[in-house]
Amino acid sequence: MTLEILSPEKLIFKGVAESIQLPGKDGSFGILENHAPIIATLKKGVVKVSNEGQETEFEIKGGVVEVVKNKVIVLSD
Amino acid sequence: MPNLKEVRVRITSVNSTKQITSAMKMVSAAKLRKAQDAVTQMRPYAEKLQEILKGVSAGLDTSENVYGRNDKDENVLIITISSNRGLCGAFNSQVIKHVKHLIADDYKGKNVTILTFGKKAEEAFRKTDHFIKGTLLPRHTNEIFDDLTYDRTAEAASKIMGAFKAKQFDRVMLVYNSFKNAAVQIVKTEQFLPVLPPENDGSGVDADYIFEPNKNEIVGDLIPKSLKTQLFKALLDSTASEHGARMTAMHKATDNATDLIKELKLTYNKARQAAITKEILEIVGGAEALNG
Repeated sequence: MTLEILSPEKLIFKGVAESIQLPGKDGSFGILENHAPIIATLKKGVVKVSNEGQETEFEIKGGVVEVVKNKVIVLSD
Repeated sequence: MPNLKEVRVRITSVNSTKQITSAMKMVSAAKLRKAQDAVTQMRPYAEKLQEILKGVSAGLDTSENVYGRNDKDENVLIITISSNRGLCGAFNSQVIKHVKHLIADDYKGKNVTILTFGKKAEEAFRKTDHFIKGTLLPRHTNEIFDDLTYDRTAEAASKIMGAFKAKQFDRVMLVYNSFKNAAVQIVKTEQFLPVLPPENDGSGVDADYIFEPNKNEIVGDLIPKSLKTQLFKALLDSTASEHGARMTAMHKATDNATDLIKELKLTYNKARQAAITKEILEIVGGAEALNG
């Protein structure tokens, strides 16, 4: 699936990911391929992106995520 | 006939002015590009945020939100965005004039307060009794332009929202120059608070979304974000306009200086020739007197 992490100032990340771990407001959760559409608010924490065995981390101060049709968009504050 | 030396001095001075204005034009052009880039960079974020907000709030009564209240319409806050520096044509006076017009006509009889971003607007309104009072509003707003980041804007926006929540104001308007192109700026008046319900064109969200934690909370979370983004966008837009306006103003100034130099050179050469003619006449006259 494709992942985009946007902040008001710039595009932080754009690429492919196999699994994404997000700091949800009510607890951390993961997104895998073919996840059902979801809109969730995020709190301060780390977004972990795994792709081909590599893990990348992005710190966010909060935000919101939308997942639809294997397209994940994270709006970071 | 003008004095030769005087004209020469004027030519030099106009020339150095021209050098300054053309340098300023270059600087503004570079800054304009940067400012425009910033606007383009934030656009995807702003659009996505609006889209999500629209989708989530479809079917919800957003007027219940703390930022949606509008039971009175007595105290109006006008956020005026100008620049810290001058020499940018009608950029600042345009906004200031518009705000004065709003106070005198649209919000006549209401209790108007003005919050300024930028020294020029502050100078214009500081001595009026509309200038910010109260402790909830952000201070040192002029410094925001030194380093225009989302975080600093968000801080100011939070304070404004706090003042609205504390019922200091019933309505908050945003007045700024919006960027059309480098030569044209349009003064825009936007309602900042209470939040206007997102336009519902019936599109909503088609997919069956899971909302985490729930719709209401998401909307409550997104509205402040969208307000911060709105203020940030206005500030960025105004900055881009400022540099555009300055670039145009400096371009005109450079052109005028070029014309002036041309004119002065003509005067100078005329004066020079007249002086030469006069000298020759004197010599010829002297020689004739000797011969005679």
